[in-house]
Amino acid sequence: MPEVRPASGEALRILVVEDEVLIALELECLLEDLGHVSVGVASASAEAIALGRSTAPDVALVDIHLIDGPTGVEVARALSADPRTTVVFMTANAKRIPPDFAGAVGVIAKPYSERTVASALDYVARCRSGHGPSGETLDGFCLAPGAAG
Amino acid sequence: MTGFPTEATAFPPGFTVDVFAAAFEASPTPMVVTDPRRDDNPIVWANGAFLGLTGYGRDELYGHNCRRLQGPATDRATLAALREAIAQGRAFECELLNYRKDGTPFWNGMTVNPVRDADGAILYFFSAQADMTHKHRLEAAMRDTNGALEREVGERTADLRFALEQKTALLHEVDHRVKNNLQVISSLMLLKARRTPPGEARDALQAMAERIGALSTAHRMLYSEGDAARFDVSAFADDLIADLAAAHEACAARVETEVEPLALPAAMAAPLALMLHELAGNAFRHAFPGGRAGRVRVSARRDGAGMELVVEDDGIGLSAGVPNPTGFGRMLVEMVVRQLRGTIAWSEAAPGTRAAIRVPLPAEAAP
Repeated sequence: MPEVRPASGEALRILVVEDEVLIALELECLLEDLGHVSVGVASASAEAIALGRSTAPDVALVDIHLIDGPTGVEVARALSADPRTTVVFMTANAKRIPPDFAGAVGVIAKPYSERTVASALDYVARCRSGHGPSGETLDGFCLAPGAAG
Repeated sequence: MTGFPTEATAFPPGFTVDVFAAAFEASPTPMVVTDPRRDDNPIVWANGAFLGLTGYGRDELYGHNCRRLQGPATDRATLAALREAIAQGRAFECELLNYRKDGTPFWNGMTVNPVRDADGAILYFFSAQADMTHKHRLEAAMRDTNGALEREVGERTADLRFALEQKTALLHEVDHRVKNNLQVISSLMLLKARRTPPGEARDALQAMAERIGALSTAHRMLYSEGDAARFDVSAFADDLIADLAAAHEACAARVETEVEPLALPAAMAAPLALMLHELAGNAFRHAFPGGRAGRVRVSARRDGAGMELVVEDDGIGLSAGVPNPTGFGRMLVEMVVRQLRGTIAWSEAAPGTRAAIRVPLPAEAAP
């Protein structure tokens, strides 16, 4: 299979924080298809924070509900404390996200489409490389207040 | 004005002071007269109704101050105001708790006014009373009833608020589970598709995953805003068609959506999503082989009591297209149209294919 490059040109190293094994596995396949690299999957908060420390990913996709409860918020807070990591929530439970988004730049609403994941990661890659966001509408991806522009 | 008879207020002939006294004596209104010129302003006259009200005999009242009627719960501030009015020779009105001879209390609603001589000097104080105990009892009962009602309303409101909170929490929980499960089902299908060699089985899995994706989009749009019972078909169609176009990026056709903003019942979301997905998906997949250019147009508008939804393309047309071995997509569309109690008309649009669907809308579907 030829190597796929993501739309923005930069392959992102991504940590998946998700307690549903099937979703996590499929998401990893999707990330690979989009030309990104998964640095690992964590299904509980302590594991996620430890994995974040040891791998310093570019992006962490964080579900709110993990094996140890609605702990995704504190995971996001811990991971976003590292300036190298951009946190994006990925949840069917967006109402649990605190007003300050716990340091995350936005949320991908579940159930998501592959296109939403692709465009959200493209947005993140553009921001990280210093380019402004593409200005394209992002269905199913909501930015945190203050994260736009 | 002194109150003493003048020409204008003079009694008619024969209406003597005795007649007047007899009238007062027989009046059902309790009355009493005190003499402030004597020491301690004693009672000098009381009528039968006053004796009846207080339980005292005349001999027990005459020569005594009215404080004889007071008791432990008589309001001191009202008494002070009454005394001040008497000292200043003013008229006064109040309700005072008094006590009968047998010690039972009663609410005495009284007016007190000075009686002056022709020079204006105060001769007597005249007071008329009314037993207000019944009114006070009613007021107290009303206060109790109001208090009880307020407590009851408070309790009910708290119960209802709790029930509403429970219901809202349950709705969120169910919503969350449905969305999460849709994601799991979709992931499951896609995972299996990835592990299936290219061919019919893989295509079928992929197609099913896409249909689940369409249902997922429908569900994501529901509850995303305040009203859980309705959704905006315009934003919904835009989102759905954009997803589809992205999934068929190999297709060179241009996409146009022109959908009126209509608030539709939530129950219509999933069938509409499936239908749009099949119709537009078919156009993307089959109408433009070999990189042929063209357009796919999705439009919907309110039409009388219903909605007309048209999916059309200017591709190669139904008859020229590769016949679908199972026709599953078309069957799905016709089933969904039947479920929505609508009708569908397929036509060759020369060039291309046109599907026009009419579905009835409930009366309250509004822009």
